[in-house]
Parts: sequence; C-alpha cells; structure tokens
Amino acid sequence: MQIRKFAKYARTSALAAGIALALAQTAQANSDLDKLSKQNTNWVMQTKDYSSTHFSEMYDINVTNVKNLKVAWSFSTGVLNGHEGGPLVVDGIMYVHTPYPNNIFALDLNEPGKILWQFKPKQNPAARAVACCDVVNRGLAYAPAGDGYPATIFLNQLDGNVVALNAKTGDMLWKMENSDIAVGSTLTVAPFVAKDKVIVGSSGAELGVRGYATAYNIKDGKQAWRVYATGPDEDINLASDFNSANPHYGQFGLGLKTWEGDAWKIGGGTNWGWYAYDPELEMLYYGSGNPAPWNETMRPGDNKWTMTIWGRDINTGKAKFGYQKTPHDEWDYAGVNYMGLSEQMVDGKKTKLLTHPDRNGLVYTLNRENGTLVNAFKIDNTVNWVKHVDLKTGLPVRDPEYSTHMDHEAKGICPSAMGYHNQGIESYDPARKLFFMGVNHICMDWEPFMLPYRAGQFFVGATLNMYPGPKGTLGQVKAMNSVTGEFKWEVAEKFAVWGGTMATAGDLVFYGTLDGWIKARHSETGEELWKFKLPSGVIGHPITYKHDGKQYVAIYYGVGGWPGVGLVFDLKDPTAGLGAVGAFKELAHYTQMGGGVMVFSL
Amino acid sequence: MTAKSFLTLLGVLSLSGCAQTPVAQAQGSEPLKVCAAENEMPYSNSKGEGFENKLAEFVGKELGRKIEYVGWIDPRHFIRDLLDKKRCDLVMGLDDGDPRVATTKPYYRSGYVFVTKEDKSEMAQNWDGELIKKAQRIAFMPGTPAETMLRAVGRYNDMFNYLHELVGFKSPRNQYVKYETSKLVNEVASGKAEMAVLWGPAAARYVKEASTPLAMTVIPDNNVRADGQKVPHHFSTSMGVRKDDQSLLLALNKLIEDKQDEIEEILEAEGIPLLPEDESTATNKN
Repeated sequence: MQIRKFAKYARTSALAAGIALALAQTAQANSDLDKLSKQNTNWVMQTKDYSSTHFSEMYDINVTNVKNLKVAWSFSTGVLNGHEGGPLVVDGIMYVHTPYPNNIFALDLNEPGKILWQFKPKQNPAARAVACCDVVNRGLAYAPAGDGYPATIFLNQLDGNVVALNAKTGDMLWKMENSDIAVGSTLTVAPFVAKDKVIVGSSGAELGVRGYATAYNIKDGKQAWRVYATGPDEDINLASDFNSANPHYGQFGLGLKTWEGDAWKIGGGTNWGWYAYDPELEMLYYGSGNPAPWNETMRPGDNKWTMTIWGRDINTGKAKFGYQKTPHDEWDYAGVNYMGLSEQMVDGKKTKLLTHPDRNGLVYTLNRENGTLVNAFKIDNTVNWVKHVDLKTGLPVRDPEYSTHMDHEAKGICPSAMGYHNQGIESYDPARKLFFMGVNHICMDWEPFMLPYRAGQFFVGATLNMYPGPKGTLGQVKAMNSVTGEFKWEVAEKFAVWGGTMATAGDLVFYGTLDGWIKARHSETGEELWKFKLPSGVIGHPITYKHDGKQYVAIYYGVGGWPGVGLVFDLKDPTAGLGAVGAFKELAHYTQMGGGVMVFSL
Repeated sequence: MTAKSFLTLLGVLSLSGCAQTPVAQAQGSEPLKVCAAENEMPYSNSKGEGFENKLAEFVGKELGRKIEYVGWIDPRHFIRDLLDKKRCDLVMGLDDGDPRVATTKPYYRSGYVFVTKEDKSEMAQNWDGELIKKAQRIAFMPGTPAETMLRAVGRYNDMFNYLHELVGFKSPRNQYVKYETSKLVNEVASGKAEMAVLWGPAAARYVKEASTPLAMTVIPDNNVRADGQKVPHHFSTSMGVRKDDQSLLLALNKLIEDKQDEIEEILEAEGIPLLPEDESTATNKN
C-alpha cells in the first residue's frame, strides 16, 4: 500500500523533471536554479522551489521508518539569538547562516563539520537596537553560475547591506546598501533569486519606513528596479492594466488618496516575509506589511497599498495586481507571510493559484494570473475581528467589538498582533492537495491609552496583553485544502510552530516547536510518528536533502525572534516585547538560548 | 478623545513600576510624602537634584514637615497608583486644573520654547519662522503641542524618523519611552538639530549649561491647528493633592500666596522663563 503510493510520487517526480527541462529551454537565466530546486538532493532556496512548496519528493525516510531517525551530525553556529530560516544545500555544501552578526559557514557534507569557508561581516552594531523583535535573519539565497558571474550566495545583513559572495570561496563579489539603519530600516528578509535578479525587501514599518522591494542584478549588484508600497503610482510601479480583472480592488491614485496629507511618506508597508515566483508567467509574488504608525487614529483611510498581496512582473517590477487584505489595519496584522503556489481545479478548470495564510487569521487563495479571489476563510474558528470576507468585494466584514479605536477597550481579540500565522514557511503536498500550516493560537487585549502628564503633554499608545487562545495552547498544526477550505486534520501544540513546516513524499510533515522539539507527523492523519528534543527552541524551518545516496533532514535550533524575545533579552514584564513576554512566559521552563544546525538520518 | 473615555482608560490601565525611596527620615511631626520621579530631570531625581526637589524641600521647611519622597519611574500612572492610593500626598508639578486631583493656586506660568543657536533665534520667533520651514531636524517630544504644530505646519512626517532615532528606535507600544530633555537640547548645541521645541521649564537648565551659546524663545500663545482650534503653548503649573485632602490644599495655597517671591527665586535660579499669571485669565484657562 505504502509502496504503491510512493511509486505514484516517483511518477509525478519524473513528470515534474520533464516540465523543468522544457522550461529550461524557454526561460533565461535561472532556469538553472529552477532545475536545481527540483533535484531533491539539493535544497537551494529557503522556499525549496519557486512555488514555495517546501515539499520534497524523496521518500527514503517515510512513515514506516521515520521512528528510526537519529542525529547524524550537528554544528554550533556560536550565536545565541533566534535562528530563523533554514540552511541551503547545493552540490555537497551546506550553507549555514546566523542571526546578527550574520555569519555564514559553508560546510563540507563529505566531511560534516568541516568548514570550507566562513564569512563574518563587520557591521554597525547600532543595527541591533533598531530591530524590533530580536536580531533574526531569514536566510541566504543561492544563484548558480551565469553569464558573467560565478555561483553566488546572497546575504542580507541586519545593517541594511546586501552582500554577494562567491559560493565556492566566500569571497565578496559586491555589496550594496539597501536600507539605512539611521532611519530605522533594517534587513531581516531572505533574498530571493529569480531570472537574473536578486529581490530584497525591507523592515522597520513601525518606525515609519516607507516599504519597498528592490531587484538587483545578480552580476554586479546594480539596482534593476525598486517599487514602493505607498505614494504615487509611478513609485508603486503600477502596470497600465493594474487590477483590470478586479477593478473593485482599487486601481490608480490610491497610494496617495487613501492617506491623509503626505502621511504615505511614513506609511510603512515593508516586506520582510517570503516570495514566490512563477517562471511561466514571469511573475513575482509577495506581501507588503502593516501601515505606520501603529496608532490607527493617526492615519485615517485605507492606507493603500500596505497589507497587500502583489503580483509583479519580474523584469520591470510592474504590478499586474494588488489585493489589499486588511484595509486600514488596526491590529498590526503585517501581511508579509508565506505565498504558496499550486495548480488546482477551480470550477472544473485547472487554475494557477496562490495561497497565503495571513497574520490576520484568514487564508486567501487567489488566481495568480490576475489576482481574482478564489477563496478566503478563517484558519481557525476562533478568529473574531472579522466575520467573513465578502468574496465579491474582497473586503473583510469586521466585528466592531474587536476594533482597537482609541476610545474602545477591546478584550479577547483573536488573533493577537503576532497573528495566527507569522513568518513560518509552509509546505504543500501536490498529490494530496494539502497545505500544512504551523498556526499560532494567541489572542490579546488591546488597551489604548492617552494619559496626561504636564504642560499639555499626553502619553499616547496602547498596552497589549497576549495570551493563549480559547483552545488553551499557543500553537496548532493544520492540514487544509485551500480551494475548499476544508481541514483534513489539526493538532494542538503547547507552544507555537513559528518556523513552518516541510513535507515529503514519505507521507511526512516535519516541523520544529518553540520549546525545541522537531516532530514528524503522518501527512494523511496528523499522527505523531517521531520527535526529538533539540538543544534550544525552533523558529526556523526543517529542510531535507540527499548526500551520497542517503536522505537527511536538517533544522536550526536557537530560540528567539518575536516569541522568544523574553528569553533573549531576559525580559520579565508580561507586556514587554510588545506583549510576547506574557504570552510565552512558560517557555523559559522548557528551553533556553542556543544556536546551531542539527542533521538527522536513518 | 472625550473626557469620559479618558477616565475609562485611566481606570483600566495596568500598574506601572514604582518604588518607595525615603530620602529623609521622619522626625517630629508627620513627614510630608511627595510623589516624585526617580529620574525625570530637570524636575526631580532620587538624588534630589531637580528643581521640584528644591521646591519640595522649601515647602517642607515652610510647613515644618520633613519631606519623604515616594519615587516613580513611569509618569503615566503615578497619580492612580500612588497619590490616589494614599502612598503619597503631594505632587509638585501638574497643569492647573488637572481633573485627576485637586490643584493648588498656580505658582508659576511658563511656555513652550524654541531652542536654537543664539544667532538663529531670529528665524524662530513663532511657528511661521523661517527655521521651521528649513530645518533638517527639529527635536521635540511626541504628544506635546510641538507635535500638533509640526503636523499643522506640515513638518511632522519629515521628522518622524528622527523622532524615533532620539529614543534609540524604541516603540511607545507597551512601554514608557522617555525623551531626555538634556539630550534634545544637546542635539541643538552639537548642531545635529537646528532647533528643539520644548516646555521651557524642562529645557531651561540645559540651555543655561550648554557648551554652545543657545537661545530660548518663548513661543507666543496664539497658535491654532489646521481646523482653527487653539493649540495652547502657555501653561500654569500647580501642586496637586487628593481631592479630599482639603487641609493640605489650604496650607499649600496659603504658602503659595505668602511665599511667591521665594518660590520665584528658586525658579529663576533654574532659568525658567516666567510669564505673568494674569495672562491666563485674559485668555481661556489652559
């Protein structure tokens, strides 16, 4: 029975390889990367492949033998802050990155633990103070050798610099300043390679950074295009047929008109999450984040195009569509999360889809050719700020009880500002047509304050208290069909699954938990088949690769990030860390700081 | 925000950190417990170096009572958490008429000021001044009339990043973010900012001490927002006691009346620009 199922995947795999070959002939540079990403021996992108399936067709490790999975080797990074993202594996080398100071280690898989080269950038330490939520970094990107450049590793440094290194030697090829920490802008996003470009986002929306995404030429670091989330249409770079399939999403002039005065200049909408790319359509997908400032009374209007799912032409950056999920955000539901591409039947037609679990607790599925909304549903039935999304208008129908207006004290808002889904990369099993999602289950009270001091001075702000949601734990893992909105299975986790999931044709879903377990579950049932306690909690994602004919699973440990900010900075006040300290106060009884990669095999 | 919702908020907000720091031991009559910041200079600190420490000592001496400080570190909630709970009896400096307490007669009136290099003060006499239009950096504190006016004259967004830089990019969500007056004045002295807009009494000491000669210009009290509503820049300062503490209120009012000259001496030593109290009755009470 199992064998037959694996055989079915083997066929799919051969088919996929065939498609990849066909594409290689039509697409330009980095059809090579696409091809590499489909060789399951390698893991060449944070997202595994352009569709961000985070799914491997390997099944050497499978439901029947996963119980025998053991530590093969491990490597300490020597850095103790939160380790987000995952290592890359390319042709016998594992590339390991760290949070600030953003060191890189190239490890020889023939001689695990042997460091082939290392890169330790000199950075302005002031960057650490600017980062909002620990000094995380979501990982490296790789580009195979191309016209005029060798195989290259890209790193985004916290201090705002983008660095290109020779993948074989670690020598620096070029360095570009993308973000200026002097204005509160940092870099935590992983770079993303598509065609002859590397795409880089931005962080610091809460400090009034006007969010942008930039494409640099792989070859020399020259800026190819830069697009903003707010402001004039030219800056946002809207195509002449922008949103022509869905004019009700809004079309032109709105990056100015939906703001009061010139507030768009400090309007936020940065992008520090994940990208996906469709090489056939040559379109790039990502989400812009929350508007600034946080206090919503200070920025009346829809605040377009923050909180938007973008579909852009990779060559020019021009936006073909933009769908704003949370107009006039009141909760800090930064919409930068995972973008998963799939091909599924919609109304009897095979359709190119994009699925996005948003921080706001809704899962959106769009036709990725034109942005048309196919479905939008709650990732958990406890989501309460919104009643539902009107699929005709695309607008969320809100429940005013959970608004954060200045004169209203909202209790029990679900999700909390951390979102029911934060920065984890999720996985998609194409045969099952299931997405596997690590879900936060955290709610909050939002108490705005405006307190007088003296001489007409007021302290304006809000106190956020976060705590486990109504189901009692802080996390969940769910398997769901994004078109029907049906959940195949769901399981509770004591703490959040912050880093996301990885799935394989061995009928397995892997993930790490904040308290440091790596677990494998049955893709079909959610049954727990294996677990191992890591030296520290997990906020990154598992990967899998094959070396010398043997399948391995690797994952970073190193608790931190927003949920672990209390551990990293030893915070005690429950409202510290923007409320995360209270929500995760139990965590300190289960794990402590650490940092490294742990590799498993049979 | 309406008055009602404001009071609701006061009732629901979480406790702030506070600690009891007896500076002077009680001797003879009951000590007078004064709620004072442990580190909000130039008003007060736990070493007693602020001008409100000096005022408190003066009040204690005149009333024949030892001063005992009850310290706080977060200015948002000390009235609710300390004064209202009878952990202290007196607050030295509040706006006249603060609805949370009973305020004494005002004992001084002052205003917001522009702090500039001495030779630049001509360009910053009021909000239509040339320097306000041209400045690369204007140091100010959020939530003050300076913020309202920078919005009104269209310079707020330009200063937004700088505003965060001044406090090391700390977010005001879930925490008290302190803007140090001394730092803001020093930004002007060092040339990093062309000007600062501050409450005169808070700026005075640092302007006086600055290494570079600085000017402090009191902003006229005739400014309005875009919608025409007045933005008060001059404020009368009173002491505050619990609403039911009438005997202390009467004693303090008498002291303020009898000892105005001595009080002014302390304030003038600090360099605080003093405005005539009758100015406040001429216009609306702020």
